[in-house]
Amino acid sequence: MHLDSAQEKALRGGLGEAKQFAMEIVSKVGDAVGADELVPIKSAHVLAHYSSLHDAGVEVLERFADSGGRFAVPTSVDPASIDLQNWESFGIPEDYARQQLRLCDAYTRMGGMRCWTCVQYQVCNFPKEGDVVAWAESSAVVFANSVLGSKSNKMTAGMDVACAVLGLTPKFGMLLDENRLANVAFRLNLKGLTDLDYRSIGFFVGRNAGARVPSLAGLPSSVTSDQIKHLGAGAAAAGPVTMIHFPGITPGSKTTAEASGGERVEEIEITRSSLSDIESDLNQTSEFPDLVAFGVPHLSVNELGELAKQLDGRKLKKGVRMYAYTSSPAYDMAERTGISTIIERTGARISHSTDAEISPLKALGFNTVLTNSAKLAEIVSSEGEIKVGYAQQKEIIERVTS
Amino acid sequence: MKQWLERGRGLIMGSAHGEALVSLRAFTFAHGVDPSTGVVTDVRSDVKGMNVKGKILFYPFGKGSTTASSWFLETVRLGNNPAAVVTESVDLSAVIGSVMARVVYGKEVPVMSGVPLTAYSGLKSGDEVFLDAAKGEVRREE
Repeated sequence: MHLDSAQEKALRGGLGEAKQFAMEIVSKVGDAVGADELVPIKSAHVLAHYSSLHDAGVEVLERFADSGGRFAVPTSVDPASIDLQNWESFGIPEDYARQQLRLCDAYTRMGGMRCWTCVQYQVCNFPKEGDVVAWAESSAVVFANSVLGSKSNKMTAGMDVACAVLGLTPKFGMLLDENRLANVAFRLNLKGLTDLDYRSIGFFVGRNAGARVPSLAGLPSSVTSDQIKHLGAGAAAAGPVTMIHFPGITPGSKTTAEASGGERVEEIEITRSSLSDIESDLNQTSEFPDLVAFGVPHLSVNELGELAKQLDGRKLKKGVRMYAYTSSPAYDMAERTGISTIIERTGARISHSTDAEISPLKALGFNTVLTNSAKLAEIVSSEGEIKVGYAQQKEIIERVTS
Repeated sequence: MKQWLERGRGLIMGSAHGEALVSLRAFTFAHGVDPSTGVVTDVRSDVKGMNVKGKILFYPFGKGSTTASSWFLETVRLGNNPAAVVTESVDLSAVIGSVMARVVYGKEVPVMSGVPLTAYSGLKSGDEVFLDAAKGEVRREE
């Protein structure tokens, strides 16, 4: 990979220790993936949650912060592994919280935006069409490429912060127009889609696209950005997908043919039975849960409002907790508009700045989780310690409230 | 045993020698491998229950969370990492995890891609494999 003189200087240490560390990482990754050059980014999104970064990740982030690393571009951050405001009341062990707070401190010292969310594009980080960004968070990368028309590769932990410190990323993969063309076309022939259907459709696309870029036609014109958010998260949980062309929604892809650059590609039909297969794979238990989790990825304030409507007048049954996960700004808005009051008087809680899949669920004593999130269902069952049920939000509420 | 030799592209250079661990499905370290042991926990993996430690790990492509590189790095920190990774299409998590292993802990974990999934059927978990990423070559020891 070619480095210009300023980038060479950074690599030699002439711009300080943090930039040298960052440039070592970025140049090695660039070389490995066959990039020719580094290009400027408009924003970054990084990871700083202890459950996935582990002690190695604490070491890395503190090394950046301690050596003077500061973010060169607006940078947002994924949720933490604990509710940063109320972690004690959620029963988080103190030594666990301490490691998370070290990550928070390092991130904050580096000048990041404190929005702690996996839906930064709904909260604090708004690139426009054509902008190159370096984002972590697989579901957000899908949203950036597919809906916003921005360009991002999946920047995984370590590389995310290195790019943010330099304000640069290697030019490869989804930054190159030729790699963004669809080479498999999914078609949906279903009406009356439920909340669960959107997640299952995503999971089906992710599983069957493999390493190809999919297009997906047939979504109703009423589809919301929240529904696409959950669809994309399901897809990214099931496979390596970083972009889905939605004809008529994705910038530059008015039709399925345009999405594939006019090439004929394999077509895959999504039927009711495709979705039933996904549901029975993800729904691994029908046992009564000890935790119901909504909001992987984070619920918007609209979705919290919808949940409040469905919960209004009900009471949570004994032996089960219900957490709705959201971003801090959406939490504040829910507080101000009375949505929180309705949700909380049923016995449920809203948790912000963290999310279920990156919380220490096992350590908190949960053994059976029920959710409408394909991403959470996939992740929880992957770790193999907790049983998971997968069902529609309405059905879940019927089961666990009276 | 029939000669088994495949060519691909070396992404992170180095050579490695060890037992193959072959998955034919999307693979992730994130929530899918326990870093404290190296054991694959993912219920959707066809190598669930097997250990990645010291293995030449084959899988077609990655999936899921962008945290996979830090799960990978934690296996390196604890000495439970694979000896090398071979994929069909580039898994950025493995590339970044390996770069971080080099930069943070000075450990080499070669990574190759471009080895087609169809080639994996000639190989099974437990076969002894030699990999040279610079040559872009991976072969079974006869």
